[in-house]
Amino acid sequence: MKAVQNLFKTYWQVLGVVGLVIIGFSIFGYARTQVQAASSRIKVVFWHEMKGPGQQQLNEFIAAFNKSQSKYEVVPQFQGSYNAVIQKVMNTHGTSASPAVFQSMDISTSQMYHSGYTVPVQKFIDRDHYDIDQIASVARGVATRNGKLLAMPFNTSQTTLFYNAGLFKKYGIKPLPVSPSYSDISRVSQQLYQKSNHQIKGMSVEAYSWLFEQFLSNANEEFANQHDGHTGISTKVNFTGPVALESMKWLQGRAKAGDLMNYGDAKNETAAFLSGKLGLFMQSSADTSLLIKGLGKNLGVTYYPHPDGVKPNGISVGGASLWIANDKSAAVQEGAWEFTKFLVNAQNQAKWEKATGYLAINTHSAKEPVLKKLYAQYPMTKVPGDQLRSAQANYTNSGIFIDGVIAARALIENAMQQIYAGKDVYQSLKTAENSYNKVLKSTNRANGRG
Amino acid sequence: MLESLPSTKPQQPTNHHPFTKQSTTTKVASFELRKNDKYYAWLFLGPSLLLLGVFVFYPMLRTFYLSLFLTNNFGQPTVFVGVQNYLNLLKSAPYLASLRATVTYVVGVAVLTLVLGLLLAAMANQKLRGIGFFRTIFTATMGVSVSVSAIFWLFMFNPTTGVLNQIVMFFGGQPIAWLTKPGWAMVAVIVTSVWMHLGFTFLLFFGALQSVPKSLYDAADVGGASAWYQFWHITLPMISPTMFFVGVVTLISAFKSFGLIDLMTAGGPTDATNLLVYRIYKDAFMNGNYAQASTESIILAVIIAVITLVQFKLLAKRVTY
Amino acid sequence: MENVSVQQAQRQRRLGNSLKYFGLVLLALIVIFPFVLGLWTSFLPSMDIAKGSYWSTHLSLNNYVAAFTKTKILRYLFNSLVISTLVMIAHVFFCSLAAYAFVFLKFKYRDALFYIVLATMMLPFEAEVIPNFTTVRQLGLLNHYAVMIIPFLTSAFGIFMLRQAFLQIPADLKAAADVEGLSHWQFYWQVTLPYSKISLVTLAAYSFLGSWNQYLWPMLTTFSDHLRPVQDGLRQLQSEETFNDWGMIQASAAIVVVPTLIVLLIGQHYFKSGLNAGAVK
Repeated sequence: MKAVQNLFKTYWQVLGVVGLVIIGFSIFGYARTQVQAASSRIKVVFWHEMKGPGQQQLNEFIAAFNKSQSKYEVVPQFQGSYNAVIQKVMNTHGTSASPAVFQSMDISTSQMYHSGYTVPVQKFIDRDHYDIDQIASVARGVATRNGKLLAMPFNTSQTTLFYNAGLFKKYGIKPLPVSPSYSDISRVSQQLYQKSNHQIKGMSVEAYSWLFEQFLSNANEEFANQHDGHTGISTKVNFTGPVALESMKWLQGRAKAGDLMNYGDAKNETAAFLSGKLGLFMQSSADTSLLIKGLGKNLGVTYYPHPDGVKPNGISVGGASLWIANDKSAAVQEGAWEFTKFLVNAQNQAKWEKATGYLAINTHSAKEPVLKKLYAQYPMTKVPGDQLRSAQANYTNSGIFIDGVIAARALIENAMQQIYAGKDVYQSLKTAENSYNKVLKSTNRANGRG
Repeated sequence: MLESLPSTKPQQPTNHHPFTKQSTTTKVASFELRKNDKYYAWLFLGPSLLLLGVFVFYPMLRTFYLSLFLTNNFGQPTVFVGVQNYLNLLKSAPYLASLRATVTYVVGVAVLTLVLGLLLAAMANQKLRGIGFFRTIFTATMGVSVSVSAIFWLFMFNPTTGVLNQIVMFFGGQPIAWLTKPGWAMVAVIVTSVWMHLGFTFLLFFGALQSVPKSLYDAADVGGASAWYQFWHITLPMISPTMFFVGVVTLISAFKSFGLIDLMTAGGPTDATNLLVYRIYKDAFMNGNYAQASTESIILAVIIAVITLVQFKLLAKRVTY
Repeated sequence: MENVSVQQAQRQRRLGNSLKYFGLVLLALIVIFPFVLGLWTSFLPSMDIAKGSYWSTHLSLNNYVAAFTKTKILRYLFNSLVISTLVMIAHVFFCSLAAYAFVFLKFKYRDALFYIVLATMMLPFEAEVIPNFTTVRQLGLLNHYAVMIIPFLTSAFGIFMLRQAFLQIPADLKAAADVEGLSHWQFYWQVTLPYSKISLVTLAAYSFLGSWNQYLWPMLTTFSDHLRPVQDGLRQLQSEETFNDWGMIQASAAIVVVPTLIVLLIGQHYFKSGLNAGAVK
């Protein structure tokens, strides 16, 4: 019994300390909420998914915007991954938790459009006679439906091929052409692997569906019927077309030859590339600033590869756009629109490209000294932008307009992993295709689209 | 993991097990039935019943209801399909792979936790100088939450700078892609989970070992039985209820693993660690397929309910024995 | 001759002991290695960590300064503390009320209700998140402290555990109280609760830790750093960095884990003896 009493004495002491700490924290926390409440500006909650340097630059933009005027206060809230944010928006719409403006990726366009939860920015553009021609048309393509701009492109990227020009020089390998074909890449990859005595891997292509989709785009092959959903509701996908098979067989061949290494994820891949253990890889142009920091002028950049003997069709833009939600008051929506315009003005887009590698989508940005200086110092940073401008927008390079592409991506990524592990290319892709066709069928049924 | 703490219970005297109908009724029956008991009952029980109804019973029924439909982009059930969702899932290779991965994970975690926890407890149960220090250290992981565990181990599993690969390379091995190769990723999450569960398991085993009457060992010593013999024939039988209990609790806790997977592998690579709860999360809150996620929820609930029932039954048996 | 065998026995024992110590030290090292490494690297510059040179001598508190100033780690801790404390208090209160009703009150369907409550112990919360999310959205609770508290105000386990404890209260006490004319509330407050302190504290500790370790639910229902509890805060920190700033992340983890470890160290002795007392009884 005595022991029990002692037990209590100590517990109460511990609880007492905890209690005091709580009181202390409460005062602290209360004081802070008071400070926040003191601001009488209209709050514009902004959801974004930017990490690392992108987040840093974005926070600077927000601070600048909040300082530039006294009517609105933009409150940034980081929401994790692109994949998670779509359902977060769907799930919070109409509650106090929902954002006034949010960043959502290219392949969510269809779902956002069908949800009816957003105000098309076209409404503001028409009202204000905003000069939309200053925004690159290819970038607008992924967020346009029936000639109306639904959301403002903000962080636009291109899948890009990066190579280590320093390594190429060291081993006497002829550099890649600006727009390489599959066999151009095979050549340098193989040479690097041989000449380095297998110490350096020639190439890496992450098992990432976005890259698969761009192989199709660049050779003008459809991902889904109804012209990738642009002319109606897609009912079938196509992962086993000639280009899909050719590109995947090509990668599997390289993996078998040993010069292609599957690093498992982008982080490991980038680390290997920066430490000179990997010759070339393909990722978003948004990584450019990080890679330049590591390799400097030794960074080589080219367009995304195309199959041999095929004229490159150009690729879809990646990245995300800014959507204005329609569940907030008119005043808040106005603030969101002001903020959107601020982010895409020429000056800010130029800064944005320099800080990250996302492409400046404002055509006037090219005249900004920031970019001129960047291009002069590192000419290769201009390549992704050139790639973007070289393309003629058509159905296969304007994104995929289907609800729930995330699930398809997971299936394709599994197929790619299997292909790298040596499984039959056609079978792997066919399995993914069949699985997703079932998903698509039930999605369409559940949403009353036949 | 500490969610499982509840069941420190078997250590406590549980004469009145719900399934051994006795005492309660008789004891209370002797009390005078007061008229206002009814109102007090509503007052005292009301809040709990309401909350359990709203947040436990209703959602289970609703989940089951949703699992019989297709749901649209807004998560609303639109097309009735009966048990079609269940049939689809049980025929779906990725889902079956998830089930297999979950079983591997759960069994791996439970077995390793039991063995290691028992080892730690047996070592700490010796009479040595400074043993208290070791006992303290062995309980240390009790203070570690999911996120912190994941961060500690993610750091050690890092392929390029992680200490584990440095050790592997020191012994002349090739660096291991811990979190990006399917087999190794499973190993990595199991190891982390075991480590996280260890402190709590140790504490329970240690308590059980301490409560084995010393006289039994003394008698065995006189009889000249070896330490090994004593362990098998005295210790193990005496602590077997605790072992069973710890096993079940760890099993259930492992079935519900989410945070560790989310932080360490996000279900990858190639779905190798896409355990049941993580799959539910992904299907519902990333893919927006609420019907399928509901179906998966029901399957998970059935699995856990069965394990819990077995636990109840065996505990009830133990109490009478 | 005898002397020799005694010496031999002593030597053997000494050898046995050092073997035992060797085993203990080895196990202890395995258990605490992740802590020690984490703590150590939290003092190193991230540049050195990225190179894998752990034997750096550039020790500093910079990572901690960064964690406190650049991240919201303090806010996360505060949120967790508030949420867990409220859950703990409410949980003990509501569970004990319900348990009291099941033990000391007589009413229709009491046993049936008890079995129904007991049955909810089998239903995992993880399998119910979809409708629960809809419910809290409709109640307007998203992105509030309340969303992390209200669903956890009571639990079948807590009711069950306290019912077991209350059943230990001698029937004479209740009879005497009835003679004295104590109301149910008075008996509950003045006799039942003080009598079952141990179980109440155990349940309190359990519910506090349970709430502290919540991960999935807050992740689904909170959308701003202002409200995020610490587990999801750490997740946030970990995911925001493209190239992990490991030094700062380890410092944040240390900030979170050290207080719990200290509490554990202080309470451990009592916790263990309490557990043993329970076991022996």
